[in-house]
Amino acid sequence: MNLRMVGCSHQATSLDVRQQLAFGESQATDALARWREEFPETELALLSTCNRVELYAANEKLEGTPDDEHLTNALLGYHRVPIERVSMQLTRLSESEVVSHIYRVASSLDSMVVGEPQILAQVKNAYQRSQESGAAGPLLHELFQSALRTARRVAGETQLHRHRVSIPSVAIGDFASRVFERFDDKHVLVLGAGDMAEETLRYLQDVGAKKINVANRDMKRGTALAERFSGKSIEWDDRWLQLGETDLVISTTAAAQPIVTADAFDKLIAPMRRQRSLFILDLAVPRDFDPEIGERLGVYLYSLDDLEIACQKNRQARADQLPLAEEIVADETHKFLAGLRHRIAAPVITDFRRGLEEPKQAELERLFQKLPELDDHTRGEITQFADRLVNKMLYPPLKSLRDASEEGTPHSLLEALKRLFRLED
Amino acid sequence: MFDGINIICFSASYAVAFALALLGLWARPAWRRPAMLLAASAGVVAHTWYLVTRVQELPAAPLSSPHDWYIAVAGLLALAYLALALYYPRRSLGLFMLPVVLGLVGAAALSQKTTLASLQIPRFWTLLHAGLLMGGTVAVLVGFVTGIMYLLQSSRLKRKQPIDDRFRLPSLEWLERVNSRSLGTAALLVGFGFLTGVLSQLARGNGASVPWTDPVVLSLAAMLLWLIVAEGFRIIYPAARRGRKVAYLTLAAFAFLLLTLASFTMQDTLHGENHSVESRSTPTEAEMFQLAKGVLR
Repeated sequence: MNLRMVGCSHQATSLDVRQQLAFGESQATDALARWREEFPETELALLSTCNRVELYAANEKLEGTPDDEHLTNALLGYHRVPIERVSMQLTRLSESEVVSHIYRVASSLDSMVVGEPQILAQVKNAYQRSQESGAAGPLLHELFQSALRTARRVAGETQLHRHRVSIPSVAIGDFASRVFERFDDKHVLVLGAGDMAEETLRYLQDVGAKKINVANRDMKRGTALAERFSGKSIEWDDRWLQLGETDLVISTTAAAQPIVTADAFDKLIAPMRRQRSLFILDLAVPRDFDPEIGERLGVYLYSLDDLEIACQKNRQARADQLPLAEEIVADETHKFLAGLRHRIAAPVITDFRRGLEEPKQAELERLFQKLPELDDHTRGEITQFADRLVNKMLYPPLKSLRDASEEGTPHSLLEALKRLFRLED
Repeated sequence: MFDGINIICFSASYAVAFALALLGLWARPAWRRPAMLLAASAGVVAHTWYLVTRVQELPAAPLSSPHDWYIAVAGLLALAYLALALYYPRRSLGLFMLPVVLGLVGAAALSQKTTLASLQIPRFWTLLHAGLLMGGTVAVLVGFVTGIMYLLQSSRLKRKQPIDDRFRLPSLEWLERVNSRSLGTAALLVGFGFLTGVLSQLARGNGASVPWTDPVVLSLAAMLLWLIVAEGFRIIYPAARRGRKVAYLTLAAFAFLLLTLASFTMQDTLHGENHSVESRSTPTEAEMFQLAKGVLR
């Protein structure tokens, strides 16, 4: 068996290099087809995401498999990136390291945000693409399927994925969902049109929010944001009226002073609301809402700092789950390698056993023909004797093979067995 | 097979379910939730069977004596808990509802088993009166539990405490809705329950009057008055329909309920019975059984 991986990830490679080496959908398919021609006997898969570009190669035979240099040339050559520029930033893994790595990647243990769920789908896509291109074979099939299985085990047996770690996901999933039971009937008001507002709206839309109003000083930008989420753009001056009616506010303006003071809230907004619950996400720096507003009845005000503290706690909670997740990865890696070695050694063992069984059978037949007076009981005893002898002769080499398999694929031992007992013949 | 079922059987089941709910604050092994549901379900089954046995033994049950009435209220609340625990698997409802159930079962154990109902009042009226008050009590208790949860959840959110998988409360919106509805429902049921009590007393004839000075009647009247005022306040003042205000209203209703239940548990006479035409002592269970048979006939 020969398993290799050459690639780069956010762990050791700069964003600049990752961007140069990234593959789009069509590029990945094209590259696989090209490499398939170059290495016809090797199974290949390419995983390309924002944070990593990795080329996996597998071959059941040792000969004819591209080495690290070939794979590096193939990967960099596609984008015509000079080797000397990025070579030091590339990761090169082989055999059990590859198995453990893809398991960690699929389980999101190697992600920039540990526990993020998207990577699993990306690994699945990478394998599907390889399969559709005809570049995948039984070895990569087994590797990727077991990687997906490992990821599911990590998700099911640890709480790694249960703690949200991004500001918008914590804001909606951990806080807003404790105020509101549902979001489809809630009015959402966005003040400003910053990136954070957009990201938060995406989460809100996922949980069913439909009634979205955007108020921005630059009406054009506000309209563009509102249109992306099937919302409505409103005049900046209408914000007071909206604040009286809305249930959830996301504020991300670049104002230097708070746009809603406690005094303004008490005079203009509170009388309209009559203590109806108001959830405010103040994602602006400096703050858009006077912190004192959070003390008013029915108002739940969260600033970036408040959410960051929750994120930190969740990150710590995820970190606490890491040892358990790593244990699962180690266990699955061990299982995969044991299975793989067994698969590689099995044909040799079968041939080896047959190599002794056939002469045994021939000799027994010859003996029984020579001594026809033997009764059934004696024949049985002689057959048992021959069986025991063959088993005792088989035991030491098979034991050595099993012991050697614990360390890695026993290629040399298998080769020696083949040659000594002329198994290839 | 159910012959030996007594209060200890189902209160022990509820206690186990509550202990498992408490365990969830520290650890959540995979077996905890199924075990908790199993214990609560076993409790509800044993509880129901106990009530059925009581009715078979004493046809005037299930609502005629304080003991049976408490058992029935606890049963309803336990059933509500089980339904909610199945529907909302991740919420820590058992921590709040099961102690109330256990408290009611405890009150039942301390209460008399002799009937409170006047033998001169038709069984239908006594059942209706007790049934409506039972519904009203369950509504006040649900309001109390959701009110407590609302205040806790609101306080946690105000203090910006991150979500805790081991202690999950329902959303404020859900709690506010249930809280608000339970207050309205309690006002209606207690109101009609009180009315049926008054009407059934007057219907006895022979110059019978409502025993207004009876502690149970007095405290019940006070609770009803509070519920009407609270409901009126909610209708007139919109802010009282929301958030902490409605939670405080239900907590106050619970205080009135406690007063009523205390007088109900401690009294040793039939309420109203010795104040009016019948000035005899409380009949024994056996006497009640014979008399109830006559009433039913």
